[in-house]
Amino acid sequence: MQKNRFERWLENIQNTQDEEISCSECFDGVSHYVEVELSGEDAAVRLPQLKQHLAQCPACRAEYETLHDLQELENRGELPLLDDFQDLIP
Amino acid sequence: MTKTRTNQEWLYDLVAGGTLQDDAIADLRELLLRAALYFFSRNLDDFQGADPEGIHQRAEDCAQDALIAVMNHLQDFRGDSKFTTWAYKFAINVALVAVRQERWKGISLDALEFSEGKNLFERMMQGTSEEPTPERSALQTEVQRVLQEVIQRELTDKQRQVLVWMVFYEVPLDEVVRHLRSNRNAVYKLLHDARRKLKMGLEQHGFDVGETLSLFGPSR
Repeated sequence: MQKNRFERWLENIQNTQDEEISCSECFDGVSHYVEVELSGEDAAVRLPQLKQHLAQCPACRAEYETLHDLQELENRGELPLLDDFQDLIP
Repeated sequence: MTKTRTNQEWLYDLVAGGTLQDDAIADLRELLLRAALYFFSRNLDDFQGADPEGIHQRAEDCAQDALIAVMNHLQDFRGDSKFTTWAYKFAINVALVAVRQERWKGISLDALEFSEGKNLFERMMQGTSEEPTPERSALQTEVQRVLQEVIQRELTDKQRQVLVWMVFYEVPLDEVVRHLRSNRNAVYKLLHDARRKLKMGLEQHGFDVGETLSLFGPSR
């Protein structure tokens, strides 16, 4: 069952740490995080602080999700070409 | 078609001078443009009917800004990922800020207040399919009362303002940053400090946050 926004917010409060990394630190490490994840390793275990920040920060999470999907497409040789975007953004 | 390069080749070619550098910069710019367009294609709703030509032009601008950012930060590349993965994040970052700005243009954040605290909680709880038992409902009300009290009494004005915008009205972080003429780190810190106070407030009133969460989830 999907959680409502209030439950997700309570979860964020519950998972609050005394020390959390900043958005800049997350930005510095996110490309490494994505590569670790796509290599099949457990990135959350290797980089727990980054994982925690991604769970709390919607802006960094949106960037991470896009980077992850983009890199996955590139690894598969399926990154859309410029011409493809004429159809994707009609 | 962009040329495939190793990390070392990217770092060498991008500062090599001459046609080697020109070709590398052109290839990098194309990759950044594709990354920006990819982000836009996933968030088309935020453009609210803008014409495709305008969206493609915004992507070109994002790619140019990202290219400058990448070139300015080349010395920061640690080699712990593919160079392109590292570079894409600059394009995605610039594109995300542009998209959020487009979505929220013309909306005044100053009009969004906490004055209707209870209604705001109720709005957040939409999507709860179960009707709580009277006992559970009373506990939920008590949790919300504690949270409301902490928000009104314990948070600083800045913490309250950022929390209300982001949590209750779902204003994106970058819009808050833009409105406050601040930066992501500072706004995130305000929100982090607010969460710490809320967590402490619940604990001081005898609510273990984990148990509190189960009060709002599906009953077992």
